[in-house]
Amino acid sequence: MNWRNHLIKASAFALKNWLITKKRSFHLFEILFWPFIGLISVGLLTRFLGLESKKVEFVLIGIIALSVVQIGQLDIAYVILYSIWNKSLKHEMVAPINAFHLIAGPWAMGVLHSLLVFLLMGLFSSLAFQLNFLSAGILRLLLFFLGLTFFAASIGMLVCALAFYIGGRAHVGATFIVSLLILLSGIYYPIEILPKALQIIASVIPLTYFLIYFRSVYGLTPDHSNPLLWGFVLTGAYNIVAAILLGLSIRNARERGLLSKMSE
Amino acid sequence: MQLKAISVKGIRKTYTSNRRRESTPALRGIDLDVDQGTIFCILGPNGAGKTTLISILTTLLYPDEGEGTIGGFDLRRQRGRIREAVNVASGNPNFTDTFSVVENLNYYGMLYGMPKALRRSRIDALVEMFELETFRHTPFNQLSTGLKQRLALSKSLINTPRILFLDEPTMSLDPQISESIRLCLKELNRRDGLTIILTTHQMDEAEFLSDRIAFLKKGKIMVEGKADDLKRGLQYGEVIRIFYEGPPFRREWFSSLEGILKIEPGDHQITVSVDSRQKRLDPLIRTLMSRPDIRLRDVAILKPDLEDVFLELAKSPH
Repeated sequence: MNWRNHLIKASAFALKNWLITKKRSFHLFEILFWPFIGLISVGLLTRFLGLESKKVEFVLIGIIALSVVQIGQLDIAYVILYSIWNKSLKHEMVAPINAFHLIAGPWAMGVLHSLLVFLLMGLFSSLAFQLNFLSAGILRLLLFFLGLTFFAASIGMLVCALAFYIGGRAHVGATFIVSLLILLSGIYYPIEILPKALQIIASVIPLTYFLIYFRSVYGLTPDHSNPLLWGFVLTGAYNIVAAILLGLSIRNARERGLLSKMSE
Repeated sequence: MQLKAISVKGIRKTYTSNRRRESTPALRGIDLDVDQGTIFCILGPNGAGKTTLISILTTLLYPDEGEGTIGGFDLRRQRGRIREAVNVASGNPNFTDTFSVVENLNYYGMLYGMPKALRRSRIDALVEMFELETFRHTPFNQLSTGLKQRLALSKSLINTPRILFLDEPTMSLDPQISESIRLCLKELNRRDGLTIILTTHQMDEAEFLSDRIAFLKKGKIMVEGKADDLKRGLQYGEVIRIFYEGPPFRREWFSSLEGILKIEPGDHQITVSVDSRQKRLDPLIRTLMSRPDIRLRDVAILKPDLEDVFLELAKSPH
């Protein structure tokens, strides 16, 4: 089998994602509406509280990062969740595809979706709340964005792995993981204000390091040795673990007959 | 020697429920050989294990035990190659509901790694074959049951499979569409040498389509063979129905005759199952004609249908 063949199979899931986005206004709503509602309401809250500009920038960067991760993981998770909701999973799993095809296509689509949101939210924050988003420079913006999307891939894979175990209810898992990120990875506040035990958990979440890195560009966080490196190393490890778990959950579904059950 | 499309031995599968800690045996040692280019039908009552068997043969489900080859590829070690060589369609088909006929076919073509030009020509051919031209851009959730089934069959042929698995393909379709699908399957088998494995509840469909039939019950193959052989093998032989005028039938009339398998008396008629029509018709008629109170009106030779065999097997305890 050649690379072209793999590419076509992975593209199938990207195409599926694209068609779902195009045809389901609900999905487009999730991609654009909620992130902007979050950004605007938090931006207005900072204005109401009369926060100084540095703190406003701190919070807005957190909101943008969370939105990128949220959208990236949703695109991956939805490929499986839609198949389960449409009861068509067995037709896809009877085809000669593997976990790589399942994830790579939607991840690529998620990168496009979240890039759109990243740029729009950055632009909106600059205009409405004076966050000088582009002052970080293209390279730093790119590294920050890539880190977030790679991390989103690991969450998306975990949700997919969960979906192969418990079916469509895995959607709740996606919300659960994102809620934990809000609490633990320093979206709205520095992790130093968390209790010690939670700080330890925060220190193993890649998003924490990507936020420290990007905020440091604006002089918003204290110096940290190589946050970007830590972020990518942890993300790499999470992706490997998530890929293994996904592979195991697909195998488990094939052993227990769950693929047929989810398609009835 | 005829090449085998499927050759499996000792396939076993038990479903276990973690929550209730129950195990349900679904297949209890299946041995199956299917020749290439034939149509093979798996019959059986609900819960017999038909869908489980198809799921295992398509690698959607892994067996607990057993080995063999599908399309010449090892069932355990070459699952990817098997998936490339087979495809499946089931009754009650489900696809992405908002995708049109062509979008669904294109998507599945991509899952099989087909390049764009090949996908396009294949989709055009399938849309024509299954008369879906008018519905090319109709979303799946707006198609009628019959059209959904036609789309399912088109999808199952998208990768030009060597072995096609059909799980009750004409379920809930009206007789006219069912008939056209049967003819289409027969033609695919004849023209392309496509091996077809199908499960069905419809005996006439099994008899019309299949080269060989297996009866599955409680996870085991009870009998397997050609339809006519199965009927003969189960001693259904041939049935003679005699219409007469005279008193109600009494068993002693035929007590001295040999080769009688079953007698079903009726209103001025007797239905007799015999091992051989040629041997038994004459003595039966002579016996009746020898009685002064009986006048023969008509004699009909009936063939038992597959449904009788199916019902008999479904009733048997093992």
